[in-house]
Amino acid sequence: MSDVIVDAANVSRAFEMPAGAVVAVRDVTLSIAQGEHAAISGPSGCGKSTLLHMLGCVDTPSSGTLCFDGSDVSTLDDRARSRLRLRQIGFVFQRFYLLPMLSAAENVELPQAEAGAAKDVRRLRSIELLEYVGLEHRANHRPSQLSGGEMQRVAIARALANRPRLLLADEPTGELDQATSEQVAVLLDRVNADGTALVIVTHDPDLAGRARRVLTMKDGQIEQEVTR
Amino acid sequence: MNALACAWRSLVRQPARSGLGIIGVAAVGALLFDMLLLSEGLMISTRSMLDSMPFDIRVTSTDQMPGRGPDIADGPAAAAQIAALASVKAVTTLRREDAYLMRGDGTRAYGSVLGIGFGSGRPWTLVSGTDVVGDNEIVINEFAAQVTGTDIGASLTVRSNCADGATAPPAMEFRVTGIATFVFDALGEAGAGMTDTSLAEACGTPGAIPADFLMVQSTGDATSTAADIDALGLHLQASTNDEAMGQLQQREFTYFRQISTVLTTITISFALLLITVLLTVSVNQRLGEVAALRALGFSQGRVVLDVLWESVLIVGIGGILSLPLGALMAVWLDGILKRMPRIPADLHFFVFQPEAVWIHAALMAVTAFTAAIYPMVIVARLPIATTLRNEVVG
Repeated sequence: MSDVIVDAANVSRAFEMPAGAVVAVRDVTLSIAQGEHAAISGPSGCGKSTLLHMLGCVDTPSSGTLCFDGSDVSTLDDRARSRLRLRQIGFVFQRFYLLPMLSAAENVELPQAEAGAAKDVRRLRSIELLEYVGLEHRANHRPSQLSGGEMQRVAIARALANRPRLLLADEPTGELDQATSEQVAVLLDRVNADGTALVIVTHDPDLAGRARRVLTMKDGQIEQEVTR
Repeated sequence: MNALACAWRSLVRQPARSGLGIIGVAAVGALLFDMLLLSEGLMISTRSMLDSMPFDIRVTSTDQMPGRGPDIADGPAAAAQIAALASVKAVTTLRREDAYLMRGDGTRAYGSVLGIGFGSGRPWTLVSGTDVVGDNEIVINEFAAQVTGTDIGASLTVRSNCADGATAPPAMEFRVTGIATFVFDALGEAGAGMTDTSLAEACGTPGAIPADFLMVQSTGDATSTAADIDALGLHLQASTNDEAMGQLQQREFTYFRQISTVLTTITISFALLLITVLLTVSVNQRLGEVAALRALGFSQGRVVLDVLWESVLIVGIGGILSLPLGALMAVWLDGILKRMPRIPADLHFFVFQPEAVWIHAALMAVTAFTAAIYPMVIVARLPIATTLRNEVVG
């Protein structure tokens, strides 16, 4: 298995609009390797989230090549891409998107159930992950009974449920206050330190500054790349 | 957690919306169930009444139903020729006329009087007393006995109103020999039975004994017996119970079937609209959640299945509730319809049959699937990245 998880070569993404095509990502070349910690920052509308969506195989490039584990994603059908996301990629969203009718533990179990894990295996893994994010005591609470920071930590546990190699986070602290954001940032650092490659899209310079590699985008292109 | 469990939790999550959907489906499903009972109810009920009589062939002057066409001018003569057939076990003539049954004190009841002749068969069942054996004897139903305050052995005056009778028929006095139930007794109507000669006298035409129809009991094979009767060349029409039902289905009950078909279509359309709107609103409220699940790797089929199960649960629970609700409504509506004049008390418009439950279940299943098609298409075609982006921007 290659060290590179996802490899984007000259990818662009254009959206057809009534007033003409809008190019959100323009000719970007980028690789994310095993265990990497990268942040993508830049002004609103610069194409950060669109690039993240392509890296996460939820969107396909209009041009260029995107390979995951060496396989061209464009050759995969919807079912295969779903399976790839389920087993290899974790997503954390700005708005958490926990299912409100399920408990924290059930939310974490959900992707495992979709992947076919047995019930007792799912239970153990959910408890393990909730302990990992420090919320084992909230396992039976519904999202409506959790704070924003707790919901995001449950969402991180859910993203890790199937042991993904790549975790993508789109503005993970966008809806949180500073103190809670710090807790989530520390947790994400820990996830990365434990071996999961992490790509964060953020406006928050503090969160971006924690990454070893910071990519700054402007007008759909990577304007600057800093590696520490 | 599988799709069914998720769908169930989704329903529980929004109890008001789900409750409204289930109540709506229960109401519509109850109507649908009633329409299914109505579509076959009259046929089944009528068939049951026909089969309860000890005759399997009706002989009329034309192919009209008994009582609808012209009379058989000489009932006893026709009956005698038919009775001579080897395949015939019994023949009885029957004439029905309207009449007042009156007591001496002026108490009276209006209803129908049957005049029977030739054979020993009777279109009534004796409850108490004895049957009529000669002229000036009469059996009456419970209602007539109650209204006129008459008991067995008492005298009762009959003033008939015969279709082909005298303009001013005489008021004739009869002795009540028994209380009987008549197959075609209507609720709140008096019924009486006497000999055909008595009825002819009561009609003021003692010389003529016409018959509405002849009731024939075959020795076994009604169809071949009917053919034997036709072969006599009496210019009469013999029809078996099956043929009589066929005629009723074609001429009389087709309206009920059409009404029931139209109302069934309308009720199913309402159910479809109701569930489609509820599910579409529900799905549109959680597009972000669906897109997030898809991003997490949930397959298109899985998120579509969630919506389908939600539809199945709403329609399934509502459908189950609709059955007892529909049964109660059927009893109530049957009672209302049976208040129409001249409707036999034993006739039912809504008759339960197991097939109706299966058809109801099948129609509800089709409704659940069809109603879910549009919201399923929304979920299946949901652009994941665009939805996630729009949710954040929104």
